[in-house]
Amino acid sequence: MTEQNSTDLSVAASGKALRSVMNFNIGRRLRRIVAYSWVGIVYSFIFAPIIVVIGSSFDGGSVIAGRAVLQFPPSNLSLQWYWLIPPSMFQSLWVSVSMAAISAACGIVIGVPAALGIIRGKFYGKTLMGSLFRAPLQIPFIVIGLAFLQSYYFLGDVLGLHMRGTFTGLVLGHVFVATPYVVGAVGAQLQRFNPAYEEAALIHGANRWRTFYRVTMPIIMPGIYAGGLYAFLISFGDVTISLFLSGPDLSPLPVEIFYALDNDFEPTITAIASLVVVGSLIILYLIQRLVGMEVLLRGGGSN
Amino acid sequence: MKANWGLVLLPPLVFCMLLLFGSQWVFLRSSFFEDLGIGRLGTEFQLNNYLTVFADPFFFSALTLNFKLAAGVVVCTLLVAYPVAYTVARMRARWAIIFLSAIVVTSFVSIVIKVLGIIILFAADGPMVKTLKSLGILSERFAVIGTMPGVIIGLTHLAIAFMVMMLFSVIQTIPRSLEEAAEIHGAPRWRVFLRVIIPLSLPGVVSASLLLFNVIMGAFVSALLLGGGKIMTLPVVIQRTIMLYSEYGMAAALSAVLMLFVLTINILSVFLVTRMRAASSAVT
Repeated sequence: MTEQNSTDLSVAASGKALRSVMNFNIGRRLRRIVAYSWVGIVYSFIFAPIIVVIGSSFDGGSVIAGRAVLQFPPSNLSLQWYWLIPPSMFQSLWVSVSMAAISAACGIVIGVPAALGIIRGKFYGKTLMGSLFRAPLQIPFIVIGLAFLQSYYFLGDVLGLHMRGTFTGLVLGHVFVATPYVVGAVGAQLQRFNPAYEEAALIHGANRWRTFYRVTMPIIMPGIYAGGLYAFLISFGDVTISLFLSGPDLSPLPVEIFYALDNDFEPTITAIASLVVVGSLIILYLIQRLVGMEVLLRGGGSN
Repeated sequence: MKANWGLVLLPPLVFCMLLLFGSQWVFLRSSFFEDLGIGRLGTEFQLNNYLTVFADPFFFSALTLNFKLAAGVVVCTLLVAYPVAYTVARMRARWAIIFLSAIVVTSFVSIVIKVLGIIILFAADGPMVKTLKSLGILSERFAVIGTMPGVIIGLTHLAIAFMVMMLFSVIQTIPRSLEEAAEIHGAPRWRVFLRVIIPLSLPGVVSASLLLFNVIMGAFVSALLLGGGKIMTLPVVIQRTIMLYSEYGMAAALSAVLMLFVLTINILSVFLVTRMRAASSAVT
């Protein structure tokens, strides 16, 4: 019920009705306060760990029982952890960025024709085809990691092709989980548009390539951005699959952070993690400025 | 002249199916062979690995623990996230987009960074835990690493963002006019919730919960880092079986059981949601 309605009512109402309308408004306001506070509490819980990582990276740290300990909120401000980040961390960051970029590019190269085929093709079993391409999303990452690791060992035994700990091996594992996001995003975009647009271009004498570049491409472009972004971020943030497929000389940043946390707490990882978070925020902001907020809101997140 | 899109589909199809069926075949096959140590597998086809999963109390308790944890976390998350998703979905469009994007952005941050934050935030000597302890809300022995509460905090954090995003898109599809109609006809707020909003969102809630259940069943990073080698969920046991003992056959059998669980839940989800949709369309 709108505010306008309730005032109209209150003017015409008798004393009793007026009281009930006022109660209604007080109840409404109270409900709002409770609801928004709850949203605030839950959102704080969601954001807290990220804010804490960035905040405590500026803490000078204190040594308790022989171990460096960081505090949030920071007690003695210092930038020392940023200067102490070991060069190997930056190498890992570079591995992560290039791996994610190549995985996203491969995902697009494979996913776009797949989406075109599934949505625009005329054949039986299109639903089945769609779910086959979506299948990797249903498999837990740990199972994918194990399955790819064993497949690489198998290839090594049979063909002498050693893929574990290689860049190609890592990328292949990520392409497997990233492609469904591209297929999904591009497919959703295609489904919104009538194939008659393409037929119209063909009828009016455009050849197939021209139709593709001038009609189909502009239609699916937002889907490619969204799918590519998701593919990049899935690969960039993944730990589980990388853990199985990376080797001692080649480990992406999340794996480095994982080992650092599993062994002993190392304050410099808060610094590099903050750099990554802020860097990702800047990239997301730029993408949002370039292609709009909508791109971010398609599809799900990562685990 | 019509483009033949079926032909375009062929190369990606061959590539993706090779990866999917190839990797799944190799790992499922290895689950039927005995481990001979240092990563070697026997040559005789047998089912012992699967029998061990259910007979060995260590493996079986990992399975039941995983199930209980995932179910508990999903139910709690649902109760916490539903009002949040409802409030955000009923905000003005501009605000709803801002609140939703904020959550989507956090879902892009790597899970290790979030776990790092949880570890610092809930550190035993940190200011927050100290205050909660002095207020008597947390017990004196609380620690976030290596304890069940720690793992539950980590998994809940992973689940809540997911749940809010999924429930948001469910609740957004319920027209506000239906609530207004019920209110105009004199239904108090709680009855509008009980009789309009919850029934209409139920199919979405069920599929979101089951999807999330699968995500939590397979959650590895938070379970391992916050469990600190003491809380043995199935994914943690799978990783240890490979990394510490190199028992690939056993690890594959455990993974196959995990997959079986996830697949069953998926099929159940499709079945339930189809039935609920059919039932609700029969009523109207």
